[in-house]
Amino acid sequence: MALKAPDRARCTQALDDLLRRCDSISVAMLALRDGRPYVERPAAKVAPGKFAAMASSLVALGHSVLRELGAGTLDHVLVDGSEGKLVVSSVPGSNGLLILALLARHDARLGLVLGHAKSCANAISATFADERAPA
Amino acid sequence: MTKTYKLLFVGEPGAGKTTCVAAVSDIPPLTTDVGCTDELADLKETTTVALDYGELDLGPQGRLLLYGLPGQARFRYMFDVVREGLLGIVVLVDATCERAATNLRETLQTYAGELRSTPCVLALNKHPDPPASLQQQCQALLTEHGLVAPVISVDARKREDVVRIFELLFLLLEHGTDGPQDDEEIAWL
Repeated sequence: MALKAPDRARCTQALDDLLRRCDSISVAMLALRDGRPYVERPAAKVAPGKFAAMASSLVALGHSVLRELGAGTLDHVLVDGSEGKLVVSSVPGSNGLLILALLARHDARLGLVLGHAKSCANAISATFADERAPA
Repeated sequence: MTKTYKLLFVGEPGAGKTTCVAAVSDIPPLTTDVGCTDELADLKETTTVALDYGELDLGPQGRLLLYGLPGQARFRYMFDVVREGLLGIVVLVDATCERAATNLRETLQTYAGELRSTPCVLALNKHPDPPASLQQQCQALLTEHGLVAPVISVDARKREDVVRIFELLFLLLEHGTDGPQDDEEIAWL
């Protein structure tokens, strides 16, 4: 059964909470798995459509590479650059519908960024669970 | 050492790019398909979001590396990932689709710059005998975008058709095209 996209306001709140808790993260985006933007806080330098498309490509390639190599399932993709770190992961419980992409400063502590990414993804995941729960 | 040639497939979602690469590849193809979340879901279950990859053995001629790109313009940036060393580009069109010409226009708008600088072939797919009107529309759209390319009919699932495309592109690479002159069009091949 197809999952409905979760409440946009709650997703926005989850991204705002993330940005407030971790000041080394500059951009947080939720994209749909086929590369369309869902929520972005705040605007990245790149157009949201392009950023969302790139995030979905990275996750799909990550899945494919791990599958080809027999290396298990994807947790996150890390693109570590001289001016920033990009972390992209699927939101658990969304049946692969949503992708979380975070851009952090290059000197950000990776463990911290990953930890905040996981907390944020779990908060968004809870949104799905709430919407599935009987009234 | 075996010579390799890089062939790229572009075209609207549903044109048959993923099917083509999967059907003719000698190796298990790499795919990056995900479930559609927009109106495209009415037409097909999944869509490519990064690329398709396969390989086809040409015997003594070498090896063809097959790349398929997503059909949506938002993935245009993937072209820059695969552009290095391209032999040519195949613009695949679903010739059974009512919106074939409209879809082709969108593809040409997205990739016009790349298609002008790389040998290309326009391949009408999924129809054994595409209507003459569609062929004319395709030629007109190519001209409108300043492009010169042969328009051919293919079954992109057939190895021999993909080899034919390769040979055509090779010819274009060797002999080039001089651009459209007056009403001249490259003949229907």
